[in-house]
Amino acid sequence: MTPPVVELSGVSKTYGGVTALAGVDLVVRRGELLAVVGPSGSGKSTLLNLMGTLSRPSCGTVRIDGHAVQELSDRELSALRASTIGFVFQSFHLAPGVPAIDAVADGLLYGGRPRGERRRLAERALRRMGLGHRLHNAPHQLSGGEKQRVAIARAVLGDPPLLLADEPTGALDSRSGAAVMDLLHELHRAGTTVVVITHDRDIAASLPREVRIRDGRVERDSGVPVGGAVGG
Amino acid sequence: MSTAAPSRQRVARPRPARLSAVDVIRVGGSGLRSRPVRVFLSALGIAIGIAAMIGVVGISTSSQEELDRKLDALGTNLLTAGPGQSFGGDQAHLPDEAVGMVAAADAVESVSAVGRVSAEVYRNDHVPEEQTGGIGVYAARTDLPRTVGAQVVDGRWLDAANARYPCVVLGARAAAHLGVHRADPGTRVWLGDRWFTVVGVLAPNELVPELDSAALVGWPVARQELGFDGYATTVYTRAEESAVGDLQGVLGATVNPEHPNEVQVSRPSDALAAKQATDDALSGLLLGLGAVALLVGGVGVANTMVISVLERRAEIGLRRSLGATHGQIRTQFLCESLLLSALGGLGGVVLGIAVTAGYAGYQGWPTLVPLWATVGGVAATLVIGGLAGFYPAVRASRLPPTEALAAG
Ligand SMILES: Nc1ncnc2c1ncn2[C@@H]1O[C@H](COP(=O)(O)OP(=O)(O)OP(=O)(O)O)[C@@H](O)[C@H]1O
Ligand SMILES: [Mg+2]
Repeated sequence: MTPPVVELSGVSKTYGGVTALAGVDLVVRRGELLAVVGPSGSGKSTLLNLMGTLSRPSCGTVRIDGHAVQELSDRELSALRASTIGFVFQSFHLAPGVPAIDAVADGLLYGGRPRGERRRLAERALRRMGLGHRLHNAPHQLSGGEKQRVAIARAVLGDPPLLLADEPTGALDSRSGAAVMDLLHELHRAGTTVVVITHDRDIAASLPREVRIRDGRVERDSGVPVGGAVGG
Repeated sequence: MSTAAPSRQRVARPRPARLSAVDVIRVGGSGLRSRPVRVFLSALGIAIGIAAMIGVVGISTSSQEELDRKLDALGTNLLTAGPGQSFGGDQAHLPDEAVGMVAAADAVESVSAVGRVSAEVYRNDHVPEEQTGGIGVYAARTDLPRTVGAQVVDGRWLDAANARYPCVVLGARAAAHLGVHRADPGTRVWLGDRWFTVVGVLAPNELVPELDSAALVGWPVARQELGFDGYATTVYTRAEESAVGDLQGVLGATVNPEHPNEVQVSRPSDALAAKQATDDALSGLLLGLGAVALLVGGVGVANTMVISVLERRAEIGLRRSLGATHGQIRTQFLCESLLLSALGGLGGVVLGIAVTAGYAGYQGWPTLVPLWATVGGVAATLVIGGLAGFYPAVRASRLPPTEALAAG
């Protein structure tokens, strides 16, 4: 049996005196699609950063794709992110002036694949996101929805088992947001584990699982729906 | 938990991949491409420093090369001997037989001499007496040009025939001062209260510049008409190249065996080289100024890099989320700094060579920029780029990914 993609047990995170997370237990199994919701400042982004190994817990254990984060060096965590985790952010993080295909190809820059292959995969990922006609456009020539789709293409072109999205629709109007959610659903159907932070109740309700955070604790977890958790 | 324990052993620890050299340079260059104006300006700072240094070295090397070529052409084997002060302090004179004694010495190729005549030369008989223009009148032996390498640009040199008659050959500066452009039978100058016909004009001669402002007349006519005492005041000696040093040591005794200390011996090519050496002191100063400019350029690069890191925190966070290690972030910014200053360095080398070529061309010198200066200049910029980029790069790599991402 393969290990869960994400396994948090007793995880806390404090910043000086501020407790952002307090004793969170959470297991995300391969192939899940779940929403993390909660009021502003409740610790959602902190949780996502821990799942993405961008920060380490103050106490408790974080296990990503079977790797115990506390046992890995910073270099090893970087390698884990390169191979296993894709990130999508509310602000798209696209460098000005860089054509979509190059921005996307950089998603695999640190994965050790040659440039030609990266660009080939980038083109494929952009086509998959419905952006085949926007390969050579710079960010300022793209709409917000298109920019977020470019960012998603960059996150998934190496087919990482885990995709973490922090309010991916937060900066988009409802139509572009819906298009982005459709893409995430499609990635989920293709086997990717997707964790989405959202403020949008409708979006949260439309996902198979909903984890509600309040004051750094898991307030409610709709749990693993029957049949939805069995990945590979 | 029980399911996790066995799985831990199965999973290999993740290993970061290496970036290829091309990718390192591409990523390092990406930060430059997006800010061309800033890159241009901070590279310019480096370029000015390098250009100044290359220019100074290039110009001094070119002028040295020019001197070497000149000395090659003029020869470094000319010695002059003249009367110094006698022991009693009055003006000494060389013995009558000086030229003959030198000619008989070993390793001497040719000898000639001039003797100062106490007469003045004017353009015509109306010019006031004090306006001599610094032109000296000398009696010259007819074999002088061969020994000193004098070139006649117009007319001809003195020979056995016209050396008896009031005929004069003018040095280049003397001719210009007297307004003589051509030597022909109608050209006369007022010399020693009588008319002398200008039969020749000499080319400038850097080895014996005293001849440039001389009016040279024949030995016999000087004695008969101008009250010349017949004593040589400068004996010119061409020696075999390998024996010049030895001959220089004994020339005084050869010229005047009775009072060798009264003879002043010198080697004109040494004077030319010494002039070059004084220029070297100035070059050192300019080189120092270039180094200061380079240092300031380096500070500019450091400043640009610090700002670049501050502005690109979000990019750093993104790259970390994509899997960049500390080291890869550090390498990126170090590479960016190196590229930035290398750009300035190459620009500076090109600029420095252009300045050298321009100045040398203007002076009529050959252009010569030593390879060590070019290589050294580029190497210096790389060192500067490395130093300037080190601190910003380390800062960038230490930035926690979450904080960096929060900045965007
Ligand atoms: N780097 C930090 N230093 C200090 N406090 C922090 C830091 N990051 C987060 N916090 C605090 O931790 C708490 C949780 O923050 P977090 O960003 O996870 O909230 P969030 O649920 O993502 O909120 P939002 O919906 O507004 O994005 C907040 O009180 C925040 O002020
Ligand atoms: Mg947040």
